[in-house]
Amino acid sequence: MEQDSVLDVRDCAVVLDGQTLLSGVSFKVRKGEALAVIGPNGAGKTILFKALLGLVPFRGTIEWGEALRIGYVPQKFPVDKTVPLTVCEFFLLKAKRFWSPDETFLEHLSHELSLVGLSQEILERPVGELSGGQLQRLLIGWAMVDHPEVMLFDEPTAGIDVGFEETVYQLLQRLQKERNTTILLISHELNIVYRYADQVVCLNREMLCRGKPHEVLHPQDLARLFGESGFYKHANEAHQH
Amino acid sequence: MGIASGAIGSFIILKRMALVGDALSHVALPGIALALFYAIDPFWGVLIFLSAAAVIVWWLEGRTTLPSDALVGLLFTTSLAIGVLTIPDEELIESLFGGFPALSPFAFSVTAGLALASGGITIGLARQFVFRTMTPDLAQVHGVGRWFDLFLFLLFALIVSLGIKLVGTLLMGALTIIPASIAKNFGKSMKGYLALSSLVGGLISVVGLLIAHTFVFLPGPSIILFGVGLFLISLVLPRSARRSMLKLTLLKFR
Repeated sequence: MEQDSVLDVRDCAVVLDGQTLLSGVSFKVRKGEALAVIGPNGAGKTILFKALLGLVPFRGTIEWGEALRIGYVPQKFPVDKTVPLTVCEFFLLKAKRFWSPDETFLEHLSHELSLVGLSQEILERPVGELSGGQLQRLLIGWAMVDHPEVMLFDEPTAGIDVGFEETVYQLLQRLQKERNTTILLISHELNIVYRYADQVVCLNREMLCRGKPHEVLHPQDLARLFGESGFYKHANEAHQH
Repeated sequence: MGIASGAIGSFIILKRMALVGDALSHVALPGIALALFYAIDPFWGVLIFLSAAAVIVWWLEGRTTLPSDALVGLLFTTSLAIGVLTIPDEELIESLFGGFPALSPFAFSVTAGLALASGGITIGLARQFVFRTMTPDLAQVHGVGRWFDLFLFLLFALIVSLGIKLVGTLLMGALTIIPASIAKNFGKSMKGYLALSSLVGGLISVVGLLIAHTFVFLPGPSIILFGVGLFLISLVLPRSARRSMLKLTLLKFR
């Protein structure tokens, strides 16, 4: 593995219950880079993330840099509304001491919450009572609280208001600049990919393209990826802006 | 014993496995039969059978394509049938409902010590158990793997094995479920819920035994019925009263 390389994926495939969900995926990510994974629904984007995290069995090689901390913001986070768990306790799941947390950890929490636009008062509220937008902010704050070197975002702006969408992407840039965080991002929004990603991987059960967004995302590639849909047209317009 | 049941039960309830937990406790019957046959302490028979059942339930849980609840149900009814056929009649009632036997000072110390230790480990590993229950994927990413689920089930098996002499196999499942159900009616925080469930487990065991002693009832049903009574009260208590009671509990654990 090269020195500044954070992740090296070689010929990765995922087969579950005899069904090939993903095959022939290879890419490298360097420290501080932002890589976007795009593809239509059911293309295997989330499965790729799960394979990277070791949550599903895979074939091929997935090699992470040594002693990396990874933050993961999942696309879906089903919360059982009846579970008695406060926001503070949710953060404490990542702390060393659950029953008697350090004061410094709690102070640090308030700072990280402010970055995702949540106030300190939310700490005492049960997770099950939060709105969808608050929960998404919480998940992002939760993933970045221990300053991971790599963060995986699975559609971080799905189901949140447009104003916050912009905040999320500014936050991603800030993480990259200030903390040199490596970012892997699944996104449906191609204009975001053009603006923020250094590298893009296009998937549709197999890897269709890989490289810098402006170099590899040609209209014909997108047509092959998404079909001649309105989605593609929208993406194409975004490209021309 | 009650405290340990309350502590472990709070996680069984969180995992929505109340019925699986209940079924698991009935798997003890063939273990009792085998222990009686070989004239050894039933505790060992129960522990072996329950631990095996815990491993099976854990294994099934990881294979979602199988209808695990149906298989657990099958495991339970099979065990019950084998138990009823193989345990002598005079021992059966005690096995099912408990008899609170007179323990030697040594046996008492070992039982109490094990109960205290398993309750303590359950509370000590609360972070990992809650993490696994709330969000298994994120827990896995942060190094809290499936082994913790197995460890939770094995702790459950140990606590149930210890408690079976007290309340019997039919009611031991209930002793783990009732305290957590009461605590859930009060709590909005995990620490409050876990602490309250453990305390209520201890409380209903002691008061239930006093009732059994006073009115010459079987201890198992007395403990369970007192617990169910408290549960009904917790349902009708106004929310404000529940909150202030919870605050009192939380103060001790801040």
